Amino acid sequence: MSDTQEFEPKIAAFLCTWCSYAAADLAGSGRIQYPPNIRVMRVPCTGRMDPFLIIKAFNMGADGILVSGCHPGDCHYLDGNLYARRRFVMLNELLQYAGVKDNRLNFTWCSASEGKRFAQVVKTTVKRVKEVGPWQGFDGQGFSKKEGELAGEKV
Amino acid sequence: MKRYEKITKEIREVAKELLEKNEVEKVIGFGKGLILDEIGPIFISKPKDIKRLEFTPEAEMSLAKYLLNYKGRNVAIVAKPCDSRAIASYLSENLINRDEVKIIGINGCPGIEDNTACDECDIRNAVIADYYVGEKMTEEDIQKELKDKEDKIEKMSPQERMEYFRSEFERCTRCYACREACFICYCEECFTDSNQPNWIKESVSLNDNFTYHIMRAMHMAGRCVNCGACEMACPEGIDVRALEAKMVRVADELFDYRAGVDPKQKTLLAEYDVNDSEKGFMD
Repeated sequence: MSDTQEFEPKIAAFLCTWCSYAAADLAGSGRIQYPPNIRVMRVPCTGRMDPFLIIKAFNMGADGILVSGCHPGDCHYLDGNLYARRRFVMLNELLQYAGVKDNRLNFTWCSASEGKRFAQVVKTTVKRVKEVGPWQGFDGQGFSKKEGELAGEKV
Repeated sequence: MKRYEKITKEIREVAKELLEKNEVEKVIGFGKGLILDEIGPIFISKPKDIKRLEFTPEAEMSLAKYLLNYKGRNVAIVAKPCDSRAIASYLSENLINRDEVKIIGINGCPGIEDNTACDECDIRNAVIADYYVGEKMTEEDIQKELKDKEDKIEKMSPQERMEYFRSEFERCTRCYACREACFICYCEECFTDSNQPNWIKESVSLNDNFTYHIMRAMHMAGRCVNCGACEMACPEGIDVRALEAKMVRVADELFDYRAGVDPKQKTLLAEYDVNDSEKGFMD
């Protein structure tokens, strides 16, 4: 990437299949534009989100993380997102303590009818990640900058 | 030293009584091993051996983990206050049966040499026990001995914190001594040993060191009792307890939760409250 180009972050987005994934769909069919920086991964519920998946995404070169699930009380599995909420709060505090900047971790709720809100969430996330710049890895060595892939792991 | 001697004497009395009455098969306690002259875990099954039981400032390891090996058998165990919290955690996670274990709880624990966790410790009496030894400490005494230690990492900028943990975890050889010393790390297959998915590679990598320590802290979240066994076990002198201690503080501040104080409580992440904090969430 040359210096003249603006930094375009790669954001790993974990979306709940019952709400946020549908919201992304709705944003698409409603022709609402949002930045193309997110790489969507569909999860059955935010309760399935192992903190490992987030660490793994960081280790594979994602500059930021977006996790979006159903609003509290709306979970398809009744309470999956409520378990997830505690886990995210703990993980967020932990990663910040370890020195990962706050802006890289984005958690939010987004229901299936909130296509507009989803586009807004993505815009905010991209803006927040752009502010802190490229992620250099936990070891500070950076990642290869090949287009079209989350950088492979270094040996 | 007087406090240690008094506790040693009382432990021996209780152990003798239990073994003579044949109430337990073994007493798990601290003492000198047969070969090395260091204090380590010893397993006493005859009343004539009780003189080997000791409690000294070097009794650093957590004995609670041995209970998992003795499931289904009657044993007695010497428990420092942090070990008694470990046992309470085991009970709350349904790992041991209460009636099989006789707990010799130490009240007014005088602390362990070189263990930084003891400076922050405010539970100095056994939370659960069948026999109490030592003198119970009052809340005032505990507050008096509590060293007001400020967390220097908390004050750093994110960049400095990252640098600090890099310089610490750089030395980690992933020998997993911290995992083995920890009473909560009892999984039959640890994520570090898993090949499919292969979360952590065997090769030298700072990224994987970070992954290991962060995930360890995440697995400890709401279960760690801040006993300092991991830090004492580390051969490289890494500040491995820093992340776990942070999780303990967060659990206390945000969820008003303390691990291992009640055998009936659920672990922090196995529960939720509808009005939980959403700190760090996007609007």
